[in-house]
Amino acid sequence: MNRPRQSGGSTAWSLICFTTLALFAVTLYTIFVVAPVEQQMGIVQKIFYFHVPSAYAMYIGFGVSAVGSAVYLLKRDPKWDALGVAGAEVGSLFCLIVLLTGPLWARKAWGVWWTWDPRLTTTLLAGMIFAAYLSLRSMGSAGEVEKRFAAGLALFGLVDLPLIHYSVQRWRGVHPTVITGKGGGLESEMYWALGLSFIAFTGLAVLLIWVRASAERQREQTAALRFELMHR
Amino acid sequence: MRALIAALVLGCTMLITSPALADEQPAEPDGGSSETKEDAAEERAAQFVGVRGPEAESVPGGALMLGAYAIVWALLFLYLMRMRGLQRNTADELERLSAEIRASGGS
Repeated sequence: MNRPRQSGGSTAWSLICFTTLALFAVTLYTIFVVAPVEQQMGIVQKIFYFHVPSAYAMYIGFGVSAVGSAVYLLKRDPKWDALGVAGAEVGSLFCLIVLLTGPLWARKAWGVWWTWDPRLTTTLLAGMIFAAYLSLRSMGSAGEVEKRFAAGLALFGLVDLPLIHYSVQRWRGVHPTVITGKGGGLESEMYWALGLSFIAFTGLAVLLIWVRASAERQREQTAALRFELMHR
Repeated sequence: MRALIAALVLGCTMLITSPALADEQPAEPDGGSSETKEDAAEERAAQFVGVRGPEAESVPGGALMLGAYAIVWALLFLYLMRMRGLQRNTADELERLSAEIRASGGS
């Protein structure tokens, strides 16, 4: 996979790439060696260290998509549209990770794979909104109307993000509130594992959005060149 | 007179028997359920089984955790492969366009 070809970005890209890889190694060591096994749930609680940062990376992806879409609607600059696509795709990837790893924990903790808890439902809703965005963008070569409509969908999806975050506090549900709201917190080693995982997932989300946005820009430029050649 | 006596006997019989029957009717299911409860209690008592060997978890937490981590790495790997494919397609398209430009005599 080629690194993004942007002026001055190559060094930063390499730095984030190596830092993220090193952080993932340290994070895995902290999760499985340093952090203790949870008393009530046992070893299945260790899903938490990848599940929660994945949700955070999902927020980053969908947030970037909404910002890119908003600026694209204002300026009509294709580079912001590429950022919108990249954010939606990476956000959807992490949303899928959240929606698949969560039930594996829930099976042990709650005895069921899925329940219509407010946080689970709003997360699924966000995933569906951005899946609609990506479906719209994948229908052949998207024209200007499709791009603008998809940008509107991304802004609509942005409204759902605070609902996911505050649903645990506002509505009665079964989702744990260990690190948010009135949660009891974690042991210090658990905080270390979670903190490192948050940083590693942030780096990963930034890298993936960066590479995907660059690939989308190159694809758009190639399509424009082909169009120009056909009408010469 | 005979009719009056018959009516009195019938009235008294109804007055006496109807409360008696009303008392008896719910007694039947109660008696049946107590027997069932006794049976169930006897059955539970007869099925107590001691644990032999180490106690096993009903839901294997280790397998679920491994599954979750495998899903994360598999999805990330698949996404990287998708981006690799996307960039390869773009590179191929650029190559094709360059060949077209060269064939048409463009610079």
